[in-house]
Amino acid sequence: MSARRRTRRGLRIGRLLLILGLLAAPAVAGAQQLELTISPLTVTFPTTDPDTAPVLIAAPVTVQCRVRANGNRSWLLTVQASGDLVASQSQIPASAVTWEATPAPPFRAGTMSSTQPQTLASGTGNVNPAMTGTVTFRLTNSWTYDAGTYLQTLTFTLSTP
Amino acid sequence: MRIALVSSAVILLAVVAIEAQRGTAVLLVNLPAQARISLSATSVTFPDADPTTTPLVASVPVDITISVRARVQPNGQVTLTVQSTDDLRSGVTVLPPSLITWTVTGSGFAGGILSRSAPQLVGRWTGSGVRIGTQNYRFENRWTHPTGIYSATLVYTLASP
Repeated sequence: MSARRRTRRGLRIGRLLLILGLLAAPAVAGAQQLELTISPLTVTFPTTDPDTAPVLIAAPVTVQCRVRANGNRSWLLTVQASGDLVASQSQIPASAVTWEATPAPPFRAGTMSSTQPQTLASGTGNVNPAMTGTVTFRLTNSWTYDAGTYLQTLTFTLSTP
Repeated sequence: MRIALVSSAVILLAVVAIEAQRGTAVLLVNLPAQARISLSATSVTFPDADPTTTPLVASVPVDITISVRARVQPNGQVTLTVQSTDDLRSGVTVLPPSLITWTVTGSGFAGGILSRSAPQLVGRWTGSGVRIGTQNYRFENRWTHPTGIYSATLVYTLASP
């Protein structure tokens, strides 16, 4: 096969793949439109000693999500911590953080993990107009924690698995 | 051929990106240094006794349960001391506080002799946590003590330098 033929054949296959891609892309990309909004972006727990408040309760977080043109497929909203809560040399396990969420369903209560995403809400089909959930994070308070300012990032993921 | 493969790859990436939406939030908790002490009794008495048969008079109640809760910086020192604000006083008659001694139970707690001039160590620990122990006061009974009802105030100080 000459170099010219090989080039033509390559271009033909390329065009074919491109057309297939273009045909497939609108069928999926156009069909699934996911929107996720978290507010506020900082979840601050109050400062109270463990005798007064065995559990620290943060101000509620609003989670707004929308799923469009999803057909009968399921959708899933998860949350995961990037690690334990960290303050220089000290740590508080991510599992010390739990949450309550409304409306339930589709939202649900859970315990934070840094190793696996935990389900915050789930359902089937579309969520349109957008649904707003309220998530209240709670931190088990303890005298055994070191003093310090602890931080950790939470990642919320809305997907159609 | 190379061009076609690149095009297809771009389309597939676009599809994958649409199947999940992510949002992040930050967990923040500021835990300041805090300390709290609680005593099971806020007054103890030494009943009258014959110095010959009872040279050391146990207090009533015998045991004072001490609960020390402290949240400190990592590996921070926690100390508990007690000091008499004055001599044991009955009108104008006084007895030295050193006539009162104590023994303890519990990890980190220490026995000692009461003083009005300097705080005396009751316990020392490292790091945050809850420590519980008991303290048992005894009064050195002598025939030479003038009769009277003697009293003194003791101040417990829980500190983390």
